[in-house]
Amino acid sequence: MTTFRFKNVRLLFLVLSALFAFSCKHPTPPPPPAPAPIAAPVPPPAPTITLRANPATVERGQPVTLTWEARNAANVQIDPGVGAVMATGNRMLNPTSSVTYTAKATGPGGEATDTARVTVNIPPPPAPAPPAPPKPPDVNISELFRRDVKDILFDYDKSDIRPSEVSKLQANAAFLKEHANLRFTIDGNTDERGSQEYNLGLGDRRANAVKEFLVMQGVNGNRVNTVSYGEERPACHEPTEDCYQRNRRAGFTPNP
Amino acid sequence: MMKKIFALSLVAAAITCGRGLYARVQTPQIQTGTRSGVIGVKIAVPEFQPLGADAKTLQLTELFNKVLWDDLDYSGVVTLVSRSFYPVGKFSGPENIKPDDWTAPAIDAQFIAFGNARLDGGRITVEARLWDLKRPDNREAIGKRYGSTDTEEGARLIAHQFADAIVELIGGGIKGVSLTKLAYISDRSGAKELYVMDYDGSESHALTNERSIVLTPAWSPDGEKIAFTSFKLNQANIEILSRIDRKPYNFDRQGGTTTTPVWSPDGSMIAYATSRDGSDTEIYVADWNGKNPKRLTVSKSVDISPFWNPRTGREIAFVSDRSGTAQIYIMDAEGTNVRRIIMDGGTAVNPAWSPDGQRIAFAWQKSRTSYFDIYVHDLATGRNDQMTQSAGDNERPTWSPDGRHLAFESTRNGSSQIYSMLADGTKVRQLTQSGKNQGPAWSGYLGQ
Repeated sequence: MTTFRFKNVRLLFLVLSALFAFSCKHPTPPPPPAPAPIAAPVPPPAPTITLRANPATVERGQPVTLTWEARNAANVQIDPGVGAVMATGNRMLNPTSSVTYTAKATGPGGEATDTARVTVNIPPPPAPAPPAPPKPPDVNISELFRRDVKDILFDYDKSDIRPSEVSKLQANAAFLKEHANLRFTIDGNTDERGSQEYNLGLGDRRANAVKEFLVMQGVNGNRVNTVSYGEERPACHEPTEDCYQRNRRAGFTPNP
Repeated sequence: MMKKIFALSLVAAAITCGRGLYARVQTPQIQTGTRSGVIGVKIAVPEFQPLGADAKTLQLTELFNKVLWDDLDYSGVVTLVSRSFYPVGKFSGPENIKPDDWTAPAIDAQFIAFGNARLDGGRITVEARLWDLKRPDNREAIGKRYGSTDTEEGARLIAHQFADAIVELIGGGIKGVSLTKLAYISDRSGAKELYVMDYDGSESHALTNERSIVLTPAWSPDGEKIAFTSFKLNQANIEILSRIDRKPYNFDRQGGTTTTPVWSPDGSMIAYATSRDGSDTEIYVADWNGKNPKRLTVSKSVDISPFWNPRTGREIAFVSDRSGTAQIYIMDAEGTNVRRIIMDGGTAVNPAWSPDGQRIAFAWQKSRTSYFDIYVHDLATGRNDQMTQSAGDNERPTWSPDGRHLAFESTRNGSSQIYSMLADGTKVRQLTQSGKNQGPAWSGYLGQ
């Protein structure tokens, strides 16, 4: 047994020597010397920009304020829709839909951007409109006409528009202008006193006086016919001043 | 021959004494009517005798007698002696007349008209005589047989013819108006339509059936056509119809209110009022078909109711309220030389020029609370004679072609009716009864 041990010492020597020899076969070369430092100017600082939108979420129609602040920038541009701006500032906007604003600052030191997102809440569409009511038939216009367009009354043997009738006639003019497609006839009438022939002339003057007033109020004269019935179409027949007054009138009728 | 000489001598007498023979008759005078001044030649008119006893002969003879009596009574030329003074008897032919009976003081007639009527073969024949009782040498002034169809219309016609012959003979050669007619407006059918009736209110018939409004009739001088205002097209326009066959004649539509037509004396033109050019009616003249309209007045006022001087055609009367109230003016037929003729205030309308051109009848309301009355304005003197005495409105006078009568409308009995009277306000008679009747227009002499 002893003999064997001897033999093993020799082997260990050999392994160890081999190991050592292998590990030292490629040694690292020495590093090159570092270059000498250059004495150049200090580089410009890089621009910076911040962009904020407040509030970040709005209902449609509400305003949003953009606020920005740029440093080291020669130009500041905000898109969309704002364009070139000063380095710092704010702007009130009314975006109609959600949008991301981008602010870009450029300067000698480079370029910087920031963004701000605005969310616009679009209200739900209104409930569908109820179906339009059917176009009222003409008879309703006639009824409206009869209801809203009032007779104009006159003094005895006069055809000028008396002050008490002016507001009524102005209201008539408003109705007639509102219904601008309607053609109509003004009939001039008198009470039964005075001569029948003269009353035809007097009724004619009354109808024309009303027409002229309406034209001055802006009613197109081409829509208007005039007719005089003189004393032939009385509204009442009693020989009283009340009845005479009702008959001294200019009436209105829509043309068929 | 002798009759002719007699008639000519009457005419000569009438001409020499102005208004007519009756003015110089020297007999006891009987005044007629409500006013003095009308004194006619006294005439007896015993009933014409029916030759036949059948009902129709009796009926038509009676009608003839009534119409003849009324024609003479309203003529303004003769005074009828009441039949209650006549001798008893039947006075059918010359053999029945004893002149002394009729010139006796109770009767004192200068003339007697008498005769008979018979029916034969669908005809009525009237043998009619007018005797001058105070000319024994030349008694028979008229002796004539009148024939027509044996209808009421025929009996009326020959009565009118005989009456007009008497009136012309006694009244200074001026024709009687028994055969003239009146156009007027009546609502008796429910709408205002144009009607024509005999001058005494009989034989009325409608000329239009427009069922709208018809107003202001005016005769052409030849009596063939009537112009009037129609609302058929929903506005006052002038239309013209033949009186004979109702044939329409064109009158160009003028636009605006177009009304109150009146014919020129020669029948070639019509004057009228229209608002075609502006805000009020003005007087125009045009050819009678409405072409070549020419404006005569320029006034910011109602100008209406023109009336040509029928004698000269050189002037036109009209109504204007340019002074503030309706008044009567005259202008030359070219529109120049406008002058107001009634100066005394109130309201003066409806000018109607007399056939001789010397007077203008009109309706005058002297204050706003008074009635309209008929007046006659004498152009030479400026005098205004009152012809009606209120009791309702009296309006729209129209002259008979002999200038002796006026017809007008009046509300004296309630609703508006047409009346006639002598041109001095006497002998008023109501001509219409049914419905409301207005706007009388007396024809000229018609071509019978």
